[in-house]
Amino acid sequence: MSSPRILVVGGGPAGLSAAWDLAEAGANVVLVEEEGFLGGTPKKLHYSLIAPDLKPVQEVLDPLVRRVEQSGVEVMLNSEVASFKGSGDGFHVEVRRKGGSLESHVFDSVIAATGFAHWDPHKKYEYGYGVYPDVLDFKDFERMLSEDNLRRPSNGETPKRIAWLLCVGSRDKQVGKFYCCRMGCVVSIKQAMEVRQKHPEIDTYVYYMDIRTYGFWEDKVYWRSMEEFNVKFVRGRIGSINRGEDGRLVAMAEDTILQRPTEVPFDMLVLATGMEASRGTVEFAKLAGLELEEHGFIKPLQSDSLPVHTTVEGIFVAGTATGPKAIPDSVSEGSAAAMKALNFARRKAVAERQQTR
Amino acid sequence: MPIHEKNLVDKDRLLVKEEAKLDGLDVSGQWSTFIEQRILGDYSTDVLDAVASTPAGKTIVNCWQCGTCTAGCCMHTDFGLREFNPRYFIYLAQKGAEDELKKYAPVIWRCVTCNKCVERCPKGVRVEEVVHSIEGYMRSKGWMGDTPASRWDEAFVKNTLQTGVLDELALTRSYVSREKLAEFNNRFMLRMALKLVRTGRIRTGPLRHRVKGWEKVRDVAKEILEGGGEG
Repeated sequence: MSSPRILVVGGGPAGLSAAWDLAEAGANVVLVEEEGFLGGTPKKLHYSLIAPDLKPVQEVLDPLVRRVEQSGVEVMLNSEVASFKGSGDGFHVEVRRKGGSLESHVFDSVIAATGFAHWDPHKKYEYGYGVYPDVLDFKDFERMLSEDNLRRPSNGETPKRIAWLLCVGSRDKQVGKFYCCRMGCVVSIKQAMEVRQKHPEIDTYVYYMDIRTYGFWEDKVYWRSMEEFNVKFVRGRIGSINRGEDGRLVAMAEDTILQRPTEVPFDMLVLATGMEASRGTVEFAKLAGLELEEHGFIKPLQSDSLPVHTTVEGIFVAGTATGPKAIPDSVSEGSAAAMKALNFARRKAVAERQQTR
Repeated sequence: MPIHEKNLVDKDRLLVKEEAKLDGLDVSGQWSTFIEQRILGDYSTDVLDAVASTPAGKTIVNCWQCGTCTAGCCMHTDFGLREFNPRYFIYLAQKGAEDELKKYAPVIWRCVTCNKCVERCPKGVRVEEVVHSIEGYMRSKGWMGDTPASRWDEAFVKNTLQTGVLDELALTRSYVSREKLAEFNNRFMLRMALKLVRTGRIRTGPLRHRVKGWEKVRDVAKEILEGGGEG
């Protein structure tokens, strides 16, 4: 019996985890990644520290990447799936490398680990993203932190006071995003802690509706941010951002505990931009004929009991392609999808052998 | 436009001028009433920093405004003193809303130190101590002078420091005469004292307990008190 051939689409935490497990189990694995490196969105967008342990992103992801590179996985960087056809003898896939050459493969089963993208805050015009240079989103600010270059884009000065606004492009009927991004709270609070750790003189405020730092993030991130780093929290969603006379930003919000309107000046504002299905996720779903669920992510066959099955037999899904998820969840799902993909391929091989007898 | 329905406006925010002149033109009368804006123009860390730097107030940063303290506060609930809201005092201090905090000078000292708040707080805020620390800040700002409670505390400490054991009778007597509390007249005091002695609740005069070697402890206690309570 020859080794099963399995395709993993996407080289982020979920894809890496799936590819490694499959290789360990003796499968022939091809990992297709559109970027020129492995590690996915956390690497691409230069994330800084990862909650809850405030570990640098390299420490979290590099071991995953190394394992995949050393396990005999065929990694195809700068590549994407160009065509996809399922038939009786497997999935016929053409992979296009950047530059144009097409390679044809046949796989027994497939794992989509195509990930998410941060929501584009330009659409929330009242927050002035793209108009005021000191209004940043998650990816801008993570990069700033990872490069240890905390300065106001408008004038290059070190900020004295920074605000975070949670749920931008999440939990908002106005922009058609009805769901919680699950990461905005913990990432914002983590960023504020990171700022206070490096620059205790900078004052930090988080504007929230609810704080959803579930599980161990509660004490390790939320409580610690208050008790150790004196990060301050304001219950109320900012309505709009104005420019103050001194060039600072003015956050117009209701402090719902004081029950008063507030116009508080800040040097920088970070928008906690939510998660949506990535372009790659949507395109692959279309190519492979996978159904999407109501929020635009790939639909699991059963969201409760079969979370890594898709609506197409033999194609499995892992990580943020099915909805917002943290890195450890994506890694676990990668392993889960690997198991399912391997079982599917083996079952198919047994069935074929029985037929030929 | 003249302001109608003034009853809908927070009284503190109504400004009435004796006379109003606009470019030399007298527009007094209906035009001399103004409403101060409600917008809070800034947050400040002044109060928070001051309170958090005192030994009693350092747990103020833990507070997440759940309201457990106020829900069980006997002043707020049983005595019905709506204005006494420890959760809110903490928030005003956290956000440096001094104009609002100032309004509570007449009530913030009303805590009876039952400590239910401290026992119940899920975040480990020493609410009773924090509120006293906020009160101390308000006093340092001159928003409030000494109060019956602060005078009691003073008399209490002075009494205790003498022998290390509280002399309740002497404390009550000195406090009552100083505060001129009419209901604590001589007859009442005498009856209460006899009752307390008979039931063994207090020992006074020659029967009073003493702490051995108290002088040494007293010196340390005094030093701590003079140093602002930092042990």
